[in-house]
Amino acid sequence: MTATAPAELAVETVGLTKRFGERTAIDSVDLHVPRGGAFGFLGPNGAGKTTMIRMLLGLTHASAGSMSLLGRPVPAERAEALRRVGAIVEEPRFHPHLSGRENLLIVAAARGPEVRERIQPSLVRVGLAERADDKVRKYSLGMRQRLGVARCLLADPLLLILDEPTNGLDPGGIQEFRLMIRAMVEQEGRTVFISSHLLDEVEKICDAAAIVDRGRIVTQGPISELAGDGGDRHELILGVDDAELAISTLRASELVREVRRSDEGLRVLLSGGATTAAGLNAALVAAGVGVMRLEPVRHSLEERFLEVTSRLDGSISEQEVRL
Amino acid sequence: MNATIAAQMTGADLLKLRKKRGTMIWVLVLALAPIVILFTVKAIQHASTPAKEGPAGGTPGFIDGLRLLALFFGPLAAILIGVEAGTGDASAGVFRDLVVTGRSRVGLFASRVPAALAACWAVVLLAYGLVLVGSFAFASNLPTPDAALILNGLGFALLANGVVCVVAVGFASLTTSKPAAITALIGWQLVASPLIANISSLGSARDAVLSQAIMHFSPVHIGGGRGATVSMAQATALLIVAAWVAIFLALGAWRTRTMDA
Repeated sequence: MTATAPAELAVETVGLTKRFGERTAIDSVDLHVPRGGAFGFLGPNGAGKTTMIRMLLGLTHASAGSMSLLGRPVPAERAEALRRVGAIVEEPRFHPHLSGRENLLIVAAARGPEVRERIQPSLVRVGLAERADDKVRKYSLGMRQRLGVARCLLADPLLLILDEPTNGLDPGGIQEFRLMIRAMVEQEGRTVFISSHLLDEVEKICDAAAIVDRGRIVTQGPISELAGDGGDRHELILGVDDAELAISTLRASELVREVRRSDEGLRVLLSGGATTAAGLNAALVAAGVGVMRLEPVRHSLEERFLEVTSRLDGSISEQEVRL
Repeated sequence: MNATIAAQMTGADLLKLRKKRGTMIWVLVLALAPIVILFTVKAIQHASTPAKEGPAGGTPGFIDGLRLLALFFGPLAAILIGVEAGTGDASAGVFRDLVVTGRSRVGLFASRVPAALAACWAVVLLAYGLVLVGSFAFASNLPTPDAALILNGLGFALLANGVVCVVAVGFASLTTSKPAAITALIGWQLVASPLIANISSLGSARDAVLSQAIMHFSPVHIGGGRGATVSMAQATALLIVAAWVAIFLALGAWRTRTMDA
């Protein structure tokens, strides 16, 4: 992951810790969320995702550490920091006896006089303008999620913090939601911070992610790097006519860190970047090995997630996970 | 927080209250129905035995109506409004969404108070109008309340119910539980307060009972000595009412400021 200057960070935490009595829910977390992208906060249930979000938003106090939103320290400048932040924490909740528009009116009143003008555009933006005057108790879960996003948009947010935003949505709703988030990032230049335990969702929506497990950040960076697809971990699958000759040739090569047999053929971990695959192919051909297949391994985020959040070893740490 | 935002937030809290149809129906029933029943029953009694029962209205009818509104059923309505205002955001789960606007928690709490008072006083005005209609419509040959008594009575009804309403907002914000707050406040108002007031061995400690202090502001005789079972100086009564309001507002604000949202 490339270093990002603090001013370019939408969210930054240093040593952030939350303890509930003897139990440490968040353990000295250093999180760096760059501006202008979708950032996934990925972890299994109970990993501390919601607690982390609640601390960032000032819903609960941190036990130790510091944090900032959009470059402003929280809680010292909480009001100013949250002025351009929209958030959905857990499921979006509303006054069920009020209409969607009235619920937005209540939040707009707390945000300031100029925000009232954003109610109608926000409802239009999430496709709820026609149902805006219905009571929220008549809304489906998908409509409530959209109304939650509309409520976030009242802040004209530079940063949206969404906690498990696709929970309960049907496949169509999830797809619609993804498109909306990507449009917010790509067309409107907003930063979206999404916590989720759904790997597929984060992989499809986000540009970068952090994986959290038992209150600790295990790893963070661009999705491609986390998945081992474009970072410093490059693997190939080779189909050859003479496996023994190929293995001895590969083991002699400086381009190869590791080679092993697999059901698919030979699995080769390169010591250099992806471009070394061409040199490797040339070396094999020069050694008289017929190469029928040469294919880069595309790691899924799911593989990495399961690897780094393994519960078998209780002492896993960021340093121990080599991407 | 400037005046415009404060007014908007109060308006928003009032919107939540007045659209809470179930609560508002109960509030209206508690505030209005006893007054209607009072005048209806007294009118029927007077019509059936005019020699024994006087007319339903006039100044005596006004005093009976004022007693119901200021000391018995009005405060119950005020409690329902105050508790709804104090717990509405937390029980709907939207308090955290208001906190993440960046607005101060104390500001969020403070906007509940004028909104609850506005709703409470609107209902009191309606009920007081009903008391006046009954007092004049069924006066027959009895004297009717003069302008001074009408104004003083209105002030007393607004004060008595307003104080209970504000205390209810603070207490409900402290407990954050609607059932617990309603049960405790109604229990205190209807059961504990009269009991304590009648335990003479408690002496001047009974001065601290809110309803006893409030009664001292009545413009007419509506209870025991000078309208109250427990006698105390007007200044003492004022201090006690102010202390109840200040303590429960402070507790409600403290809880709203410190609780996990």
